[in-house]
Amino acid sequence: MIMNRLALKQTAAALGAVFALAGPATAEDIVWARYGDIDSLDPHRATSTLSLQVWSLMYDTLLAMDAEGNPVPHFAKSWTANDAGTEYTFNLEGGVMCHDGTPLDANDVKYTIDAAFDETTPSLTKGSWGPITAAEVIDPLTIKLTLESPFVAMIPFLADSFSSIICDTNGEGFGTTTAIGSGPWKLVSWTKGDRLVFEKNADYTNFGKLADNPGAPYEDGLIITVVPEPQARYAALTTGEVHIAEPPFDDVPAIKDSGELDIIVAENTGQNVFWEFAVHRPPFNDVRARLAVAHATDAATAISLIYGDLSIPENCPISRGVFGNDQDFCAQYRPAYDPEKSKELLAELGYSMDKPLETALLVWTGGNRQKLGEVFQAQLAEVGIKATIEIMDIGSLNARVRQENENTEGTTGSMDMMTWSWYDPDILYALWHTPGAYRGYTSPELDAILDETRVLTDPDARKAKVQEAMKYLLENAIHVPLYTPGWEWVFAVRPEVEGFKVAPFVYPIFSDIKIGG
Amino acid sequence: MWRFIGTRVAMGALTIWVTTMLVTLLIHAVPGDPVQIMYAQSQGTTPEQIEQVRRSLGLDRSIPVQYLMYLERLFQGDLGNTIRGGQPVLEVIMQRLPNTLVLAVASMFIAIVIGVPIGFLAAYREGTIVDIGLMVLAIAGISMPHFWLGLMLLFFFALELGWLPVSGNGPMNLILPALTLGLSNAAIFARLTRSSMIDVMNQDFVQTAFAKGLPKAIVLRRHVLRAGLLPVVTMMGLQFAFMMGGAIVVENIFSWNGVGRMAVEAIFQRDYPIIQGFILTFSVVVVVVAIAVDALYAVLDPRIRRA
Repeated sequence: MIMNRLALKQTAAALGAVFALAGPATAEDIVWARYGDIDSLDPHRATSTLSLQVWSLMYDTLLAMDAEGNPVPHFAKSWTANDAGTEYTFNLEGGVMCHDGTPLDANDVKYTIDAAFDETTPSLTKGSWGPITAAEVIDPLTIKLTLESPFVAMIPFLADSFSSIICDTNGEGFGTTTAIGSGPWKLVSWTKGDRLVFEKNADYTNFGKLADNPGAPYEDGLIITVVPEPQARYAALTTGEVHIAEPPFDDVPAIKDSGELDIIVAENTGQNVFWEFAVHRPPFNDVRARLAVAHATDAATAISLIYGDLSIPENCPISRGVFGNDQDFCAQYRPAYDPEKSKELLAELGYSMDKPLETALLVWTGGNRQKLGEVFQAQLAEVGIKATIEIMDIGSLNARVRQENENTEGTTGSMDMMTWSWYDPDILYALWHTPGAYRGYTSPELDAILDETRVLTDPDARKAKVQEAMKYLLENAIHVPLYTPGWEWVFAVRPEVEGFKVAPFVYPIFSDIKIGG
Repeated sequence: MWRFIGTRVAMGALTIWVTTMLVTLLIHAVPGDPVQIMYAQSQGTTPEQIEQVRRSLGLDRSIPVQYLMYLERLFQGDLGNTIRGGQPVLEVIMQRLPNTLVLAVASMFIAIVIGVPIGFLAAYREGTIVDIGLMVLAIAGISMPHFWLGLMLLFFFALELGWLPVSGNGPMNLILPALTLGLSNAAIFARLTRSSMIDVMNQDFVQTAFAKGLPKAIVLRRHVLRAGLLPVVTMMGLQFAFMMGGAIVVENIFSWNGVGRMAVEAIFQRDYPIIQGFILTFSVVVVVVAIAVDALYAVLDPRIRRA
């Protein structure tokens, strides 16, 4: 028997050696497990949070975000704009190198912008760059961008990973197998669906990214692996196979109590979870029906029941950390929890407890949102709104919401708990400016306000206009904010990991990490 | 024999042809505009880009034209590019198909090695406490959902004992997912083997063999086992396809990088070229396995190859 065990161990060791590449990480590698994989290494080819988080590690951006989510200098050490807001000149840091040893300069910035506006394969977020008509290299450390019309959301965009600077030496295989950036972590390999392997960029200088470390990461390697099942992630955290991962929600209190893992909650994620309604047919074509739902919703109690102190109620249609967010301002206009007021409005519309307002309540799967939906369902029932919960994946939800808005027949309502995230109030333009992301509520009046939020260069004037848009959305109960953050914002971290933090908009930082102190 | 296999291959080709048609229709079967849905939450995507994607998928053409375009590309080995990331679909599938096949084969091996002897033993000891005990075990095995069994194995072997890794794609990582899939299928094989063996043991030719005074071991090996295994072989083909499908849950629990998990992710992301490629590849694998099983069946049973 002993011999057998020995033989088994030897065989296992031999197999382990043969397949060492697929085996567990070395002692110096940080291992971060997530539920899914990136879509592409090319920042112009995807839009998922999972992809953005990885690009932020591999690439640099002209600007970076501070802890409050404001744009600050990074690769661009300064910038100027003309009075009309149509020309921006960026002065770049010298001596920055791409991962292949070539210098990162204005030519790489131009290469990136030209790729984003390529006629045959433009960036998926081309519209967010703004109406850029030219990127001109003044000298290797100066680049000038010319815009057709002012677009103030461009500056925060240049601090986001969507605008990652791609080195102009990237060629065949870029995005799918290779990627040359200049960020703190250098890509070694990507096995799609399984793992991304990085080594530290030993020559890295951090000018503005939110890390205490001014230079190269402390640890040698970083592995980002895919573990879809929450319980398996928790198990891998427990065994030490993985250092950082999103834990199963229901286990968070137990993890906290046991103290075996640290729980880190990301702040200023920009995520907004809100009610929206099918407004082109009864009952929600009437603002009173929408207000009745808003007044019947006690978000604070519901969130506390389901998430404890992990998430917080949100008063604004754009979330904390995004320019223009002001809880006190929004609280004046967001319909407060007032079941009696809700019942009055429903009575005006001819509904009562005996003849309830009937509606579908569409909820996105995961993150305990289905349980939250049940709490809201019970709250709505108390005032005479009979909501039937339908749970679906985000793809189906997107399709269904648009379908519901396009359906003008019938009298059964449809409302949904939607989730969006963006670093700038321009998100409101995408959602509510004609034609609207889901073909929902639009009006010429709201369009005019939103148009102005894109061109006002004076921050105070823009903030006032953003607030005007929020006031409109809240008073008309078009976008009823519920809470923030809403997904992938809780991290469980092993005790030997020191220095892990999460920057605004859910960008984890690994440069400061030291394993084992 | 060759005629028999030829017929099976022709039927398989027909099945795949029908699948190609269904796959083309799939994108139209979903409510709403597929391209709009794909980009519903992509802030910054312009309407022109959406139009471009629609053109690149051929969605601006009529359905018959789309089908012919699809066939033309298919014959060139081109399954299109993924919507998210723009990678060739064939490449993405071929990266992961071997993982799923390895898992299915390993599970099948476990299922047969455990299931068939248990079934045989139960049949041999029919009506005894051994038989009842083994069959209770088998029913428990069939009733256990994959996700539950998988998590239990994970907690016991990876977490409690620390013998095996929780997730990944190395050979040691194969053991737990293969056991999860294999054990529940072993139960199915055990029950099937038992009933088939009992059936054969009651047949005249077996009674005659015993009456001739042949030793029990020879009767069982030469007469009972060979005849009794025929339904088991048939079941192997069906179960292989089932395992490929059932692997989706297991792949998810153990982070096994197979095509099942890829398909689920593609469905959530509405990445139609991957979904289409997956269905087609899956059907080809199932057809090939079915033909192989039919051929094996013919080898085992002369009546079939002469038919």
